[in-house]
Amino acid sequence: MAEDRKYRWVGTRPIRHDGVDKVTGRANYGADFALPGMLWGKILRSPHAHARILRIDTSRAEAMEGVKAVATAADLPEQRPGGATDLSNNILARDKVLYHGHAVAAVAAITAEIAAQALDEIEIEYEALAPVLSLDAALADDAPILDTARRARGMDDTGPTNIAARVDFSRGEPDQAFASCDVVLERSYETQTVHQGYIEPHACVADTKADGLVEIWCSTQGTFTVRSLTADVLGLDKSRVKVTPSEIGGGFGGKTTVYLEPVAALLSRQSGRPVKMVMSRDEVFRATGPAAASRIELKVGATQQGQLVAATARLWMEAGAFPGSPVQAAAMTILAPYKLDHLFIEGFDVVVTKPKVAAYRAPGAPQAAFAMESLLDELAQQLKIDPIDLRLANAVAAGDQLPYGPRYKTIGMKETLEAARDHPHYSAPLGENQGRGIALGFWFNNGLNSSAEVYLTEDGTAVVVTGNPDIGGSRASMAILCAEELGIDVMKVRPIVADTETAGYTDVTGGSRVTFATGWAVVNACRVIIEDLRRRAAQIWECDLEQVAFDDGRCLPVEGSGLSHDPLSVAEIARKMGSTGGPINGQAQLSARGAGPGFATHLCDVEVDPETGHVDVIRYTAIQDAGRAIHPAYVEGQMQGGAVQGIGWALNEEYLFDDEGRMENASFLDYRMPVASDLPMIDTVIVEVPNPIHPYGVRGVGETPIVPPLAAVANAVKHASGVRMQSLPISPPRLLAALQEQAAE
Amino acid sequence: MTAVVIPNGLRAHCEGCARVEVEAVSVRGVLAALEARFPGFGAALGENVAVAIDGEVFQDPLYEAVAPESELHFLPALSGGR
Amino acid sequence: MQRSFERPQTLEQAIGLLEKHGDAARPLAGGTDLLVQMRAGLLRPAVLVDLKGIEELMSLELGADEVVIGAAHSTASLRENADLVALFPGLLEAAELIGSEQIQGRASLGGNLCNGSPAADTGPALAVVQAVCEIAGPNGRRTLPVAEFLTGPGATALGVGEILVSLRISRPPARAADAYLRFIPRTEMDIAVVGAGAWVRLEADGSCAEARLSLGAVGPTVLPVALDALVGGPIDDAALATAGEAASAAARPIDDKRGTIAYRRQVSGVLARRALRIAADRAAQRS
Repeated sequence: MAEDRKYRWVGTRPIRHDGVDKVTGRANYGADFALPGMLWGKILRSPHAHARILRIDTSRAEAMEGVKAVATAADLPEQRPGGATDLSNNILARDKVLYHGHAVAAVAAITAEIAAQALDEIEIEYEALAPVLSLDAALADDAPILDTARRARGMDDTGPTNIAARVDFSRGEPDQAFASCDVVLERSYETQTVHQGYIEPHACVADTKADGLVEIWCSTQGTFTVRSLTADVLGLDKSRVKVTPSEIGGGFGGKTTVYLEPVAALLSRQSGRPVKMVMSRDEVFRATGPAAASRIELKVGATQQGQLVAATARLWMEAGAFPGSPVQAAAMTILAPYKLDHLFIEGFDVVVTKPKVAAYRAPGAPQAAFAMESLLDELAQQLKIDPIDLRLANAVAAGDQLPYGPRYKTIGMKETLEAARDHPHYSAPLGENQGRGIALGFWFNNGLNSSAEVYLTEDGTAVVVTGNPDIGGSRASMAILCAEELGIDVMKVRPIVADTETAGYTDVTGGSRVTFATGWAVVNACRVIIEDLRRRAAQIWECDLEQVAFDDGRCLPVEGSGLSHDPLSVAEIARKMGSTGGPINGQAQLSARGAGPGFATHLCDVEVDPETGHVDVIRYTAIQDAGRAIHPAYVEGQMQGGAVQGIGWALNEEYLFDDEGRMENASFLDYRMPVASDLPMIDTVIVEVPNPIHPYGVRGVGETPIVPPLAAVANAVKHASGVRMQSLPISPPRLLAALQEQAAE
Repeated sequence: MTAVVIPNGLRAHCEGCARVEVEAVSVRGVLAALEARFPGFGAALGENVAVAIDGEVFQDPLYEAVAPESELHFLPALSGGR
Repeated sequence: MQRSFERPQTLEQAIGLLEKHGDAARPLAGGTDLLVQMRAGLLRPAVLVDLKGIEELMSLELGADEVVIGAAHSTASLRENADLVALFPGLLEAAELIGSEQIQGRASLGGNLCNGSPAADTGPALAVVQAVCEIAGPNGRRTLPVAEFLTGPGATALGVGEILVSLRISRPPARAADAYLRFIPRTEMDIAVVGAGAWVRLEADGSCAEARLSLGAVGPTVLPVALDALVGGPIDDAALATAGEAASAAARPIDDKRGTIAYRRQVSGVLARRALRIAADRAAQRS
């Protein structure tokens, strides 16, 4: 249970333990690692978006001086049914290429330049097939089928189809309920393919030893995931693969799978030398997993007083080349924040000839919220109800049932809406061509599996070992939790991120789970130590364990025990470790349950240039329930970062493909993410509705903040310009065209 | 009896029932009871099933306990954007 | 591939190297375009001739009649010269838009011009102040107006062995000033969807004596827009609307990932009006 007490370190803002290394440029990222005798690996990528591979001839490349290994899918083991078939086919295409940039072959050579030249010497004969570049194209009756053997899961046998799966959720009788509504809005919304845009490209070094053991150094969100997926693709026992994480320059979900690591390990096995592979930005765009493009048809019915009655949603999401869009999560989230007696939600996972999508911060939820929160804004306007009041009137609370079954426990949805309503931003005056939008976001958050070890040193300082790459300041949070538990100075705790042979099994840094779940494991490991410290104090004082209490870093006699010893600090006991039972270590592991859902309400002001369609975000406030903020600065950082990524998604980001399926804007110059000067300071308000199950009340915070901005921006644009943009991005040419259309009407 | 809520996609495999009551002490027991009553249900459910028991979601639930008053929801298991 | 790097200290040495190696050589100023193109594999020059060791290319002279800007002088350093900023605020607005703060420590007006991009910010800004390119080559020196220096996408009037040495700009007369605006979806780190350089000289009574407008990114090279209709009248909303229409009509954009034809035409007119208004306001303040 969350404990209500005064904290010494929780809620403070110490500098991050990895900060000095990073700001002085000494921290080592994925591409910084090198080994003696290392080769350079490069990947040959498909020039077609959709083609059959008829023949691959690598002989000329293999014969080149300096080339030490050439690999194709033929060098990978066949996967058993239900195995890592898609993953294997994604990292090296077997029979078909399914997107422009799909990896087909790989080379390792003594220099990067020779490796690049060797790629030109690989001959591949393709039979080009028609690309499938949109949901419409994929779902057309005569659509080219990516995999004719695949059948849609969750549907009666459809025959060959590009629908990989269907899910649905229902409650009540929505069709009948709509008839009783005073107002029913039915709208369609679209979003385009966008990329996470992490600054650091994928990079790794793999060293396959003579006995087949594989060592990998890479930039990843999940070392154990890399271990598992690499072992699966290569057909190895998981204990035969060791993964050591570098520092990570952003991931946002995009570094939760593998692209290079198994290929580098394969090339290393073939050449007998370590192999380094680093993607270019172009490769990152063309061949790693973006976020899914979507279409959502949404119908919502309400009473004149603003009571939501019924809703139906049909969602289609592009999975890219292989099944696995986040359409299920989108379907589960789209109506989750609102009380609805009647609903029907149907989602379709659709394959297209684009790169296979990967997770991107709250996968599926931003697209879903764009639809629902845009529609609610329109409903509020139509009913002449304040948009926050409309949401408050329909907000879920503890005990309400989610569309997919479970019931909410303690949540902070209403609290974030009320904080938004009461914030000075909400009532601040607006100028000409300016408008304000609000939107709400929901995300499940996740728990999963974590381990932690805490080692006390002989001077009473501590080392905290976990297996989660630190992507958002989590080392600082682990240190704070340890310092709070043991009552020692936070800067005397050294939090480290360990490799897969040093840390116990730990799931990926994702799902907003690290501070929640791994932090919880750290707390439990510290509590093991505290028990041990009490035992040692009892040994020193020659008293019973029950007579020793632990408080604020000291063992002291329990009040009323009759003992009058001076308290023993952690450091004092640590110095006596040899004579009280040996080293003082705590270890804990858990499958963390009860990750409380996150809610956020965002306020966005924009100014629209009516002559150019340019949208300037002039004020932005992100309000979120963090349960309890362990390190508020990094909670705020997550809220700001998520808001900014969502603003980019709303305004300018999109993959542009030519008719052949070649991405036209595979660079940061033309894939237009926001830059710092595009944005105002993102103001933040942390709301704290403690998660009752967690010892410190923590809820995940990393993903929720990307959920509201798409609709917050679109709603603001509507109120600034009169135009409601139901298709993203709201780029200047699109908005200007819409403004001109409005003027013509 | 533990109440099991069957999602639309699986109802064809349990004679159209939306809600089934079974006697079990664990998720594994629930699955066994369902299979006994509706042969082939387990195969239709597939591997990697996730469930919600009394509001709590379990990704890997086989050995989780259920109580007579528990309500269990099957969640369709799709890989989510990996 | 063998690649050699040369850093001549005199123009003669540099010209000699470029002449000797011909197409295999590339002059290097800040490298902010060249190095990117090399990394992308678009160019693989065997010889790089670094021009930053040559004093004349690095100089900046604010003379009594004209300003001479060394072709490789960094834009960051130009921006720090308050006198230059006061003289040609529009040109410096353009210079400030090239790349990020860090890039500007290397980027130069000459380099930006020689890259020959139709979307370069320096083109329209230099054209409206009637900058003259000073060129040195195997056959001695010659000068060319900026508008004639730029000959097409990626192309300039430089012959084999020729080097752009400096840009010469006459000091503005009384009641004259320039301005530059570009449209990008973001605020920086982007390439012009449309660029507009404007220059206005006013009569003592505030009417328009001279007006010049050049557009970037909407034609194969810098596009001058004739504004004779403005001369003699006030620079008011009606005049600006006329200028805007002239700009939209003159624009010859293409459809590409950065903008559509219709959009670029429309925005050409908008930027023309806005840039001319800023230039006119500045000119009025110089009375």
